Amino acid sequence: MKTSSFPLIHNRKAMVGALIVAFILAVAIAAPLLTSYDPSARVGRPHQAPSLEHWLGTTRIGQDVFARLVYGARTSLAVGFGAGLLITIVGTALGIIAGYRGGKIDEIISFFTNMVLVVPNLPLLLVLAAFIGQASPWVIALILGCTSWAWGARVTRAETLSVKQKDYVKSAEMMGEPRWRIMTFEIFPNLISIVGINFIGSVIFAIITQATLEFLGLGDPKVVSWGTMLYAAQKASALSVGAWWDILTPCFALAFLGIGLSLLNFAVDEIANPRLRTGNRLGRWSALIRSGEGRL
Amino acid sequence: MTAPLLSVKNLTIDYIGETNDFRAVDNVSFDVAPGEVFGLAGESGCGKSTIAFAISRLHKPPALIRKHSAILLDGRNVLDLDQKDLADFRWREVAMVFQSAMNSLNPVLRIEQQFYDVLRTHKRITRAQARDRTAEMLRLVDISPDRMRDYPHQFSGGMRQRIVIAICLALDPRLIVMDEPTTALDVVVQREILQRINELRRKLGFAVLFITHDLGLMVQFCDRIGIMLGGKLVEQGTADAIYRTPEHDYTKKLWASFPSLHGGVLR
Amino acid sequence: MAFLLRRLCFYLAAFVAAATINFFLPRLMPGDPVQIMFSSAGAELPPESLQALKLTFGFVDGPLWQQYLTYLGSIFSGDLGRSIKYFPLPVTTVLGNALVWTVGLMGTATIVSFALGTFLGILAAWRRGSLFDVIVSVGAIFATSVPAVVTSLIVVFTFGFTLGWFPTGYSADPALDPAFTFEYLGSVLYHGILPMLTLCAVLTGGFAVTMRNNMINLLGEDYIVMARAKGLSDTRVMLWYAARNALLPTVSSLAIAIGTVLGGSLVTEVVFNYPGLGNILYQAILARDYPVIQGQLLIMTATMLIANFVVDVSYVLLDPRLKRA
Repeated sequence: MKTSSFPLIHNRKAMVGALIVAFILAVAIAAPLLTSYDPSARVGRPHQAPSLEHWLGTTRIGQDVFARLVYGARTSLAVGFGAGLLITIVGTALGIIAGYRGGKIDEIISFFTNMVLVVPNLPLLLVLAAFIGQASPWVIALILGCTSWAWGARVTRAETLSVKQKDYVKSAEMMGEPRWRIMTFEIFPNLISIVGINFIGSVIFAIITQATLEFLGLGDPKVVSWGTMLYAAQKASALSVGAWWDILTPCFALAFLGIGLSLLNFAVDEIANPRLRTGNRLGRWSALIRSGEGRL
Repeated sequence: MTAPLLSVKNLTIDYIGETNDFRAVDNVSFDVAPGEVFGLAGESGCGKSTIAFAISRLHKPPALIRKHSAILLDGRNVLDLDQKDLADFRWREVAMVFQSAMNSLNPVLRIEQQFYDVLRTHKRITRAQARDRTAEMLRLVDISPDRMRDYPHQFSGGMRQRIVIAICLALDPRLIVMDEPTTALDVVVQREILQRINELRRKLGFAVLFITHDLGLMVQFCDRIGIMLGGKLVEQGTADAIYRTPEHDYTKKLWASFPSLHGGVLR
Repeated sequence: MAFLLRRLCFYLAAFVAAATINFFLPRLMPGDPVQIMFSSAGAELPPESLQALKLTFGFVDGPLWQQYLTYLGSIFSGDLGRSIKYFPLPVTTVLGNALVWTVGLMGTATIVSFALGTFLGILAAWRRGSLFDVIVSVGAIFATSVPAVVTSLIVVFTFGFTLGWFPTGYSADPALDPAFTFEYLGSVLYHGILPMLTLCAVLTGGFAVTMRNNMINLLGEDYIVMARAKGLSDTRVMLWYAARNALLPTVSSLAIAIGTVLGGSLVTEVVFNYPGLGNILYQAILARDYPVIQGQLLIMTATMLIANFVVDVSYVLLDPRLKRA
């Protein structure tokens, strides 16, 4: 079964998604090679339209938008993946412990999980960020990690409950393996697709939320990221003065990255749950029906 | 023998894959006479449920019924029916009891509504008439008619299966296909239900296509039996013949693996 | 009934948890909490007003638990303090006025996008593998993966600034007096339609995918096959057997989605300069108006909990198995 060992390669959504994310990653890494401008420095006249000199124009205070775009990709990706990883680790650990240990421990963890799920996330983040002041990207990543793990914990717990009943877990228990070993080596590997979906979903969530918080003025405006680009452009009323390049550039960048990651996420979801698949798998069947070889 | 009610001829069904196909039913032919109980036995995955689904044309892609197959009911080929005739044919002529008793009823609709759905689709009937018919059917299977406004979860597994049978009888069908109807039930309930089906069959005269992997049950319950192996029908004959003088090796092995029978014949 | 009662207790606990966060946050910050809370007020507040504010937020002489109880006491008596930016207006007044617009915007958008998304999901699942399914699934990917702030900005740029079809600010024409006249209500509709549609664009895809996946997981159930064997029409089987059951998990996932709806409506309001909670909050953040920022968490949480409770009730109504429990 060659197809099942590398299922992602045979999935068109996965390939397109991976290409998009890889492209943005490459741009972020190669930022200094792509532009000679300093993203924070005033290098031109304010609100210049795109030209050969400034490919994507300049901001209200004369910074080069293209330079800010490519350097900003670094921040957005770093926060996204950093916070995504943190959210996934916390959620997975709590989910496995609650699901596997059961009893009082489960009750406590589940109670907190449900509570975090009903307190609206963005308003909570706004309060936290407001007290912290102008939060650096790393602080944003950290508070995202602390407040957004609940969904992952719930899903992981549900899945753990079913894996726990499997024979190999039972036999490991019989053989007296310590609990932490069972959780890490028997249960965790069987949750890998859930964890994968959780991770990519969390990265998307973190990127969107970081941009939103920064857009609302809770980030550090000196940092170059797609969120602060939005904030600065909105504050400079870029749209009403017609400087569309200033605000649409980070918009399309965020949309592009979001779509790339989501394609990956849906692909992993379809592989973990083949029933959800869309697309052409009925090609041969339809051909046979048409040629009169059979019917239903 | 009188003209058969159901006549399955050269039935071949494939599941079409992306590169190769899986032949689930391979050139199977058999007849069921009016009022007869015909059993299909075989291990799981041998294609017996696939046949059951084909009779009411319930298959979905990627299943494919190959050309030259025919399923004749009263001489009419079911496979040739158009959508409208098919909707008309389903349940009115062939009703069906499915594998799991617990899940055959829609959990969010009242029992009454699930009867009404059938009656309304196939007959011009008022709510009140439908209610009378429902009460009559429920009484047939020993369920109090005043429970028709309950939901499925308020009944036990055995009761739910009896309700399904009552729904089957609502239109006086000629044939009832029973796909492992009692597998999910315990032995006592299982026996009760089969006895009940038998009484009703005598009274109403429908034929039964009975599908199970439980050979013991089959011999007690069926007039004639077909044995399936890997999509092929390897042997068919009267229940007695299959029990006493099996011809095919596989049938012999099946009996050898089977503990001796207890209890009398249900017929 | 016991189920709903249990949920109510849980929601009360969740609300107290949100209040607890509010209570501890300023006290966990380095420096004087009173200073932090009211720093932006400067010397403008009259001393007796400052004193009253301190009392509301539990800055009393006494042990921590006493301060905590004082704070909870003022919250449950409906006193969220006074806004510093809009002094002397109470926080409840400032937020209450805005809440009307937000709930109106959010409510209509949720209902429209839930209905539309669910409908698209049903059809996509029923015709799985068809072109329609592919279009819905891929469309949903695009719609759900683009941040609400980006969608809002692109919509306001296209239809507001470039094409000029819709206004780019306010909930109604500021020249009109709020009254139940056709002119005023028409203006409210005209101003609200673009933010509402934007929110729908953000939300519909998610609902469609949830419904589609729930449906597909149900289509193999015996009662669906039996419904087909009964000769029922396709529409009847699709709606009353498949969709009716798939709706249950979809409704319970709606409860979690409400958080996303809230977040989405906050940023949409900022972009559209719509006078709802999001906009008030944006102004409060810029002015570091902490009583308002804290108050919105409580009001948002309460909104979310009420919405969750509505979902719980409809779940009980939809699932006969829960009615007796």
